[in-house]
Amino acid sequence: MAVENYAFLIPLLPALAFVLTFFFGKKLPNGGAIIPIAAIATSFVISLLITLNLLANPEEVVSQSFSWFAMLNIGILVDPLAAVMLTMVTFVSLLIHIYSLGYMSHDKAQSRYFAETALFTASMLGLILSDNILQLFICWELVGVCSFLLIGFWFQKPSAATAAKKAFLTTRIGDVMFLSGIVLLFTDLFKIYNGAIPDGVYILRFDVIFSHIPEIAAMNATIFGMEVSHITIITLLFFGGAVGKSGQFPLHVWLPDAMEGPTTVSALIHAATMVTAGVYLVARTFPMFIAAPSSLLVVAYLGAFTAIFAATMGIVMNDIKRVLAYSTISQLGYMMLGLGIGATIGAEAVGISLFHLINHAFFKALLFLCAGSVIHAVGTQDMRQMGGVAKVMPITAATMIIAALALGGFGIPGTIIGTSGFFSKDAIIESAYVFGASSGMWIPYVLSIVAALLTSLYIFRLIFMTFFGKARTDYGGHESPATMTIPLSILALFALFFGGLATERFNTFVSDTFMNDFVHVNIAELAEIGGYHLGHHGHEPLIILWLPLIVAAAGLLIAALVYGMKVVNMDRLVSRNNPIYKLLYNRYYQNELFTNFFSVKVVYEGLSYAGRAIDTGFDWLVGWLSDLVLETGESLRQFQTGAVQNYATAVITGVSLLIILIKVVMEVL
Amino acid sequence: MAENLMLFAPELTLVLTGLFVLMVGLFLPTGAKKVLGYLASIGILVALSLTVSSLGTEGMAFNDTLSVDALSQFFKIVFLVVALIVSIASIKYTEGNSHTEEFYALSIFATIGMMFVASANDIMVLFVAFELASLATYALAGFEKKNQKSLEAALKYFIIGSLSAAMLLFGISFIYGLTGTTSIPGIAANITALSTSPMGIVAVVLMLAGFGFKIALVPFHMWAPDTYQGAPSVVSALLAAGSKKMGIVAAFKIFIVALIALQAEWQIAFAILAVVTMTYGNVVALKQTSVKRMLAYSSLAQAGYISMAFVVLTPLALGGGILYALSHGFMKAGAFIVTAAVAYMVLSDNKDSEDTDHIDNFKGLGVRMPITALSMTIFVFALAGIPLTAGYMSKFVLFSSTIQSGFAWLAVIAILNSAISLYYYAKIVKYMYFLPTDLEKVSEPLPYVAALLIAVAGVFAIGFWPEPFIHWAMEAAMVLIPGGM
Repeated sequence: MAVENYAFLIPLLPALAFVLTFFFGKKLPNGGAIIPIAAIATSFVISLLITLNLLANPEEVVSQSFSWFAMLNIGILVDPLAAVMLTMVTFVSLLIHIYSLGYMSHDKAQSRYFAETALFTASMLGLILSDNILQLFICWELVGVCSFLLIGFWFQKPSAATAAKKAFLTTRIGDVMFLSGIVLLFTDLFKIYNGAIPDGVYILRFDVIFSHIPEIAAMNATIFGMEVSHITIITLLFFGGAVGKSGQFPLHVWLPDAMEGPTTVSALIHAATMVTAGVYLVARTFPMFIAAPSSLLVVAYLGAFTAIFAATMGIVMNDIKRVLAYSTISQLGYMMLGLGIGATIGAEAVGISLFHLINHAFFKALLFLCAGSVIHAVGTQDMRQMGGVAKVMPITAATMIIAALALGGFGIPGTIIGTSGFFSKDAIIESAYVFGASSGMWIPYVLSIVAALLTSLYIFRLIFMTFFGKARTDYGGHESPATMTIPLSILALFALFFGGLATERFNTFVSDTFMNDFVHVNIAELAEIGGYHLGHHGHEPLIILWLPLIVAAAGLLIAALVYGMKVVNMDRLVSRNNPIYKLLYNRYYQNELFTNFFSVKVVYEGLSYAGRAIDTGFDWLVGWLSDLVLETGESLRQFQTGAVQNYATAVITGVSLLIILIKVVMEVL
Repeated sequence: MAENLMLFAPELTLVLTGLFVLMVGLFLPTGAKKVLGYLASIGILVALSLTVSSLGTEGMAFNDTLSVDALSQFFKIVFLVVALIVSIASIKYTEGNSHTEEFYALSIFATIGMMFVASANDIMVLFVAFELASLATYALAGFEKKNQKSLEAALKYFIIGSLSAAMLLFGISFIYGLTGTTSIPGIAANITALSTSPMGIVAVVLMLAGFGFKIALVPFHMWAPDTYQGAPSVVSALLAAGSKKMGIVAAFKIFIVALIALQAEWQIAFAILAVVTMTYGNVVALKQTSVKRMLAYSSLAQAGYISMAFVVLTPLALGGGILYALSHGFMKAGAFIVTAAVAYMVLSDNKDSEDTDHIDNFKGLGVRMPITALSMTIFVFALAGIPLTAGYMSKFVLFSSTIQSGFAWLAVIAILNSAISLYYYAKIVKYMYFLPTDLEKVSEPLPYVAALLIAVAGVFAIGFWPEPFIHWAMEAAMVLIPGGM
């Protein structure tokens, strides 16, 4: 009984837990939390065992599929890429669920909370396990629905309801692009097979898609007079989906607002279940991206830009959760940048980017849970009202500082000493340097190194404002219960040591995800189709290896001077008269630009004005039609007199009329 | 002979179950009669598993008057599934009733009649089986002897039923008179005298009136709304989901096999009736305030869709019609069981309330009976043809085959009708989830929940994995038109 045969249970157990908790949770203690915890724990054990198996034999991926209908299938695929994601998601989700026991203990709707988080986890696991793009999309949408439910968990609060709507609608833009990409891909594959698909070939399964990349790349479409390969269009549409889900510029606007849900939900969204889906999608379809001219460059540039753009806003936020939200957007930018650099380093990019994704999951979950712990104790999210929290909450403070060090990327180059974020983020920054050196495009590298400085600055600003100095208000908190601090400590261990212990092994393991029994993709050949020149890591100058650490230390120093020792009077900087501060604090006026101007003025008012005229006409027509139908219904109802004689008459009349009608029609024809 | 008898093991099981339930019931005190429901359900389940396990066998028995083939097997499964759902739900309905054994015996005998219609290879056997099912259901419709509405429903059903049976027999006499045989393949072989005679049209229309009564085609439908509304909900489920399909399989056999030479005549008739029936059903359903009555009209409309198969007459269309019969069995049986559960809830609020099926009773059902309300939502969306449900798949196969064969006008009418129907289906959902109620949550009786879950499982199974079902329905269709015209 090999454990691989039970891979299908990984998403099914949490899904089952959802049903059970939803219906019976209210009658159980803690809202039935034990059901999802047990289910996710089992999923975690299965995932871990499969991953260990795969580590020993990387070729033997788990792949099971069966026919759904026509040329589509339902199936699971656990290759190295999926395996590490599964293990991370189940592990982080498990810890968050345990932590929620304490965090949600006072909420009346506990059972709904646990049911929805279980479904959220199940959808994400289903997404990861999918062996075809359609099933992935279905789970992708399920993730979206769950995020809507959970962000709006406290739907009594208008702000929560609005935030849920905003998240749902914004990601929808990406989802529509993703779906269009799938439709285009399907038509192309259908054309390649000339409509005659042999039995047992499931055309949206990844192995079939990947084996036809050259043919798809050969198809061209003309857009604005430019010849564009279909593979470029498809990958850019997929990337559009990823931009929405993973909060990249300009569809990132939903993420900071998503803080309206319980903090544990934020942790789940930001670390494990939702935002990583976009990065995973690009990694999963990486062979398509590398065969698509310019797609990877778009990914790299947009990723780098998002990394620095979000980091600048993180510096000025006063809400502890919003700082973390912008931090997530920024770090996701790094992951996208890592994938984009595949233009130079090939499949290794998948390993690097995924490694950062996993490490980020550990320290970001930790940051959110610590923040939740602080909010739980202090009763506010505004950092200006905190200060000196370290004295009352030593465990929380210590673990959060560890997480901050990991996010900032502290470690010693050339050794295995360092936080997990150090290993993965520096790998991305160094690869950006290689990318710049080989292609002459230095912008991503410069942006990423400046973003590293800002990252360190905003996270230590948060640490100093929250934990050190004097208490600025009388909050009188206490350390959180053990169900909350134990998950924190476990995550802290991972944030500290996982990077150093796993880095080499992890990168080769995941980078080989396209070379096994299921798919065998020659990345080098595909890169030629895409027009990318793959190079290898040379020996980077020593300064390049040390520079990320130096800027991170500089960030820490600035934060310590300004917010710890107050050598600069912040009141002069933080004022409405400082144009830069104003610009940042108002988040580059995105809300004004996107929501108030673009959505409301241009789209809403413009379209509605144009639409009103047509609408009135249709309204009248539809209204008239429906009135007519309803009226007819009412008058026909009168026929049904209830008198059985009339019924018999109707039967006899019907028979006679039918005989005559048939006779007449037969004569006419 | 013994081997041939084995072909009818499911029917024999049911006969034994029915008689056993009837006998045992006589000696049980009223309080202990609950066990009869379990016995009947087990018997039906055994018959169902016997039928499923014998899928693929073919054979003739009793001088070729009965045949077992893919078509009969398919419809037997439809009837048995509906009977199973109804019998499980009735465990609650008949609780504490001193006539429980009669209820179960009658519904089992009705099912046996339907199954023999599906197997009939002789027009007289078909008629007798048809009447067996009819007589049993007349009595069932009037099962609530103290309820005037139930009695009225039964009486109307009985009178119009007798009239239709007379017409059916009249039609059969013409056919027998001009062909000299009652065997269904025999009629097809000796059809010349009938098809050249002016009596051909009369025979076709008379047969159509007889079957149209059971299928509830306009204008032979008028009993249906009154009866479905007045009869106990579980009986309405049996009538709408089971007995209606008996009319369809009988019409398949008589028209497509026996009277294929008169194809032109009955195709015109079915085209007229299909359009009139679906439009009339949907339009009148819009303004109903009784949910059961609305479901009755909705079931008229669905019968109109299924009749399209007779007009198009390609293997795919017939397969679609047959698949629709199965899907409709799940959806409609489920929807009527919901009204039974609601009636139970209303009566437990207030023992003397009337109009238990009024739509106002569905207000806030999402809070009061969450499982029932969710199932109802699934059933009405399936009836409206929302994707990933059985209703969508059947409509998809049927309508697309209609378009393929050049009957685009018919498909357009059918699709417009589906759009209209969404209005009254969505109205129920609105009442269940968006209108508030100040009444308390009610615990949902297990038998109802179990019956609903079976129906929901069927609706989703066909919706998610249509391939095997379509394949299976196509095999059944091939029995009717072996060459695949």
